Amino acid sequence: MSQHRMSRTFRYIISITLLLSSLWQHAGAQDTIMFPMKVRLGFELLGSSKYFYEKERTNLEFTVSADLNERVSAVLSLGKTDHSYKRYRDTSFLLYNYTTNGTYYKAGLDFNLLKADKSQGKYFVGMGIRYGISHFNYEIPEITTENYWGKTVTKVPLTDEWAHYIEFTPGVRAEFIKNISMGWTVSLRKMIDPGTGRHQKPVYLPGFGNGSKSFSPGVNYYIIWSIPFRTKRVIIQPEPEEEEEDMNNPNQNSDMNNNGGFRQQSGASRF
Amino acid sequence: MSRQLSVILVLIFAVLLPGLNSCVDISCTDETTAFVKTGLYSYSSGAKTVPDSLTLYGEGMAVKVYDKATITQPALIPLKDSADYAKFIIKINGIADTIEFIYWSYPHLISKECGYSMFHTLDTVIFTRNNIDSLARVNPNVTTQNVENLQIYY
Repeated sequence: MSQHRMSRTFRYIISITLLLSSLWQHAGAQDTIMFPMKVRLGFELLGSSKYFYEKERTNLEFTVSADLNERVSAVLSLGKTDHSYKRYRDTSFLLYNYTTNGTYYKAGLDFNLLKADKSQGKYFVGMGIRYGISHFNYEIPEITTENYWGKTVTKVPLTDEWAHYIEFTPGVRAEFIKNISMGWTVSLRKMIDPGTGRHQKPVYLPGFGNGSKSFSPGVNYYIIWSIPFRTKRVIIQPEPEEEEEDMNNPNQNSDMNNNGGFRQQSGASRF
Repeated sequence: MSRQLSVILVLIFAVLLPGLNSCVDISCTDETTAFVKTGLYSYSSGAKTVPDSLTLYGEGMAVKVYDKATITQPALIPLKDSADYAKFIIKINGIADTIEFIYWSYPHLISKECGYSMFHTLDTVIFTRNNIDSLARVNPNVTTQNVENLQIYY
C-alpha cells in the first residue's frame, strides 16, 4: 500500500516538474526587441498633384505624427485648399459658380495592427481616427434658376464659416529607403456640422470634400520622413497556436525552412 | 514581410492612381423646382376633388401653367424666383378667381450635380371668392419635397 502511494507521489512530482519545465521553456521563448519610436513628417501627394491638371483646385496637406507606444501614434494634420467649381446644365446654361478657400486641422490617433516585431517601426497596417475642423469662406457669385417665370440670376456673398467632421482612415505604410516611407489611406469622413445651415451646404468643404453630402470618401497618398527619437524595449509574446500548426503541417514547415525567416529555425541553427 | 508589404503598396497605388485622378460626372436626377403644392377640395364634402377643368396662369403671362386641364393632385403653382410677389388667375371649372402670394425666397443647394433651387416661405395669400369658398395655408415652406402647402376649397 505504502509502495503504491510512493509511486503515485513520484508520478505527481515528475508531472509537476515536466509542467514547470514546459512553462519555463515558454517563458524563455519570449523575445525582446528594441523598438524605434519615431516622429513622422508627412506630405500628401494626391491633392497637390491634382494642381497640374486641375488648376481650379489646390490642396496642400502636412501631417506630423509621434509614436506614443509601439502600436499607437498621435497625429496632427494641417491643410489648405483653394477651390473653384462651375456647374453647367448645358454649354450655355451655368447652374452655379462656387469658390471656396480655407484651412483645415485634424487631430487623432493611428492604431497599428501589426505587432512590434513585424512593424519594426517601419510598417503600418491599421486604422486611424481623426477629428477635423475646417475654417473656410465661400462665395457663390452666380446661381441661375429657371421656371415658368423665366431665368433668375442671384448670388451669395462671401461668407466665413467653421465646419466639424470625423474621419476614419484605414491604410498601409511601408519604409522604402531608410527613414523615408510611403503609404496610402482611405478617408471615410462623416459630417458633424457643415457650419452653413441646411440650405447652403458647402459644395466643397476644405479637408472634407463634397459637403452637400453627410458622408465623403477619399484617398490620400503620403510621403513621410521618419525621425527616430528613442528606442523602447518591447516584449514579444510567442504565438503557440501558430507553432503547433507549423509542427503539424510538414509541407508548410518545409516552406518556412526554405524562407529561413522563422525564429525557431534561426534559434536551432545557433547550436 | 517588408518586401511583401512594399510590393502590395506599390501595386495598389499603381492600380488606383489613374482611377483616383479621374472624376466621374454624375448627372442630376433630383427635382429642382419648388412649387406651391395645392390640393383642390370640395367645400361641401371636404374631400379632395379633381375639377373637370383647371386653367392657371401668371398675371401678364401668355403661357399657361394649366390650360383647361384635368390635373392629378396636387396642382403645382410656380412662384417668381426674382420677386417676393406673384399673382395668378385660376379658373376652376371655367369660373375665374385670382390668388396673390407674398413670400420671401432663398437659394437651397439640392446637390453638387443639380445645383441650387429657390425655396420660398409664404407670408400672405390673398384670393377672390367667385368660385373659391376658402383657402388654407397648411405649410408655408415651399420646397421640392412633396408636401401640400395650400388647400383650396371650391
